[in-house]
Amino acid sequence: MALPLAHIGHWLWVFYVIPILIVIAGIIRSTRAEKKREREEAEGKKPR
Amino acid sequence: MIFDLPEAHALVAKQDLPIPAWLFAWAASIVLIASFFALAAAWRKPQFEEESWRPSAAWLTTVLRSWPLQVLCGGLGVFLLGVGIYSAIHGTEAPDRNFAITFFFVTAWIGFPFASALLGNVFPIFNPWRAIARVAGRAHSLVARRRMPHLAYPEKLGRWPAAAGLLGFVWLEVVYGSSGGVAVGLEPHAAGVAACVYSVYTLTMMALFGTDVWCSRGEIFSVYFGMFSQLAPFGLKDGRIGRRRPLAAATHWATTVPGSTAVVIASIASTSFDGAEDGAYKQGLAHVGSWIEGLGVGPLATIRITDSLFMAATVLAVAGVYLLGVKGMRSVPGAPAFRTLTRGFAHSLIPIALAYLVAHYFSLFVYQEQAQFTYLFSDPLGTSTTDLFGTAEYGIDFNALTPNIIWYVQVAALLVGHVVGLTLAHDRALVYWPDYRRASRSQYWMLAVMVAFTCFGLYLLSVGGA
Repeated sequence: MALPLAHIGHWLWVFYVIPILIVIAGIIRSTRAEKKREREEAEGKKPR
Repeated sequence: MIFDLPEAHALVAKQDLPIPAWLFAWAASIVLIASFFALAAAWRKPQFEEESWRPSAAWLTTVLRSWPLQVLCGGLGVFLLGVGIYSAIHGTEAPDRNFAITFFFVTAWIGFPFASALLGNVFPIFNPWRAIARVAGRAHSLVARRRMPHLAYPEKLGRWPAAAGLLGFVWLEVVYGSSGGVAVGLEPHAAGVAACVYSVYTLTMMALFGTDVWCSRGEIFSVYFGMFSQLAPFGLKDGRIGRRRPLAAATHWATTVPGSTAVVIASIASTSFDGAEDGAYKQGLAHVGSWIEGLGVGPLATIRITDSLFMAATVLAVAGVYLLGVKGMRSVPGAPAFRTLTRGFAHSLIPIALAYLVAHYFSLFVYQEQAQFTYLFSDPLGTSTTDLFGTAEYGIDFNALTPNIIWYVQVAALLVGHVVGLTLAHDRALVYWPDYRRASRSQYWMLAVMVAFTCFGLYLLSVGGA
């Protein structure tokens, strides 16, 4: 059975956007992890 | 095969590639990400802040800066400008048969960036307006027995006139010229008139502000070609030709002169628009054009208004992506001011501008230069009545490059350009953030910018029209 993909060509641009989205997702994840680590380090240095 | 998808209405790529074109974008992105991590791990001190300039042999400076060579090359520039203007105004209206169009928009416009990036700033010696202005200035000094007085150039303007002129030049070529299936569709007569107007404008500005000042700030071609020359390993210092670390001269090109960022943004955006007009933007242009024509605007004005809107949108989009990257860098502790970052990292876009130029135009350059050095030189007016060098009947060998070779060169150019750009950005980050870990963190966003420009460039090239 043939897949109904006759108009997939209109959506080829999505394949070019995917790497950008992956990089941005990685940046957001990495930035959040670093901010969380800095916050934990700052809380660990605070006097009880 | 999962990738063998029927495409009912999509544009079909002309290449016969072993893998889909979009996979090249993914591969290029992976290379950029790997380069980023390699730089973060191994590049911990700035390497490009110093040019490490060393003078070349004295005879080289003596020969290349001698007045006979200056007169010869300047005279050649003036002669070719004159031939171009004459051919444009009195020659055939067929753009591909008229000397002027290929000479102005291919040989000079594409040839000088390539030559400048390899050999240094070679344009000044051939600059026809500089040659005329210097002769006029010398004549004035002899007659008036004093140097021609000049106005002080408003430094706040910086290179903004050149940036605006660069967009105007591309607008003239791509928007005003009606593309009729030839390499450059602008009517020769319009190009000739534009060349005359630009000559009057440039010589007036040189008289007002001084030749060297105008060439360094406002003269479109001097600034544009000079930008690419910053990448070259050869340069001029205190009147002496010498060698320097490649890329190093670019690091200070944009930091102090306003409008420099605009010049490099304009370069990337205008090349992108030229590539997108017949490909990625085609449907969008048709939709917007229909809407504008529905308002009662004539067909030619509709095309020009629509193209102008899309060109402006492309400039804003390219600038927006870059400024988003700068804003992202601002989020890292210890970041300098936004304006400092904007100017401080602009030079990292110069290799990208060159990569876009190579990717979009190198095949055009290879084909059209065959015409330039055969039938266009022999029959510059294109009237089939002259054959100055016996090559008027020659043609273009379109088999010189296969579609696959063109695609691979385009991919390689974009990849190398963006890796070099990433390297320059990382190197500058180490100046603003001496802690290499913070510097690397600041470059996450420039990595996103580079991946975005790479994927965008490959997308434009893959959908044709490039």
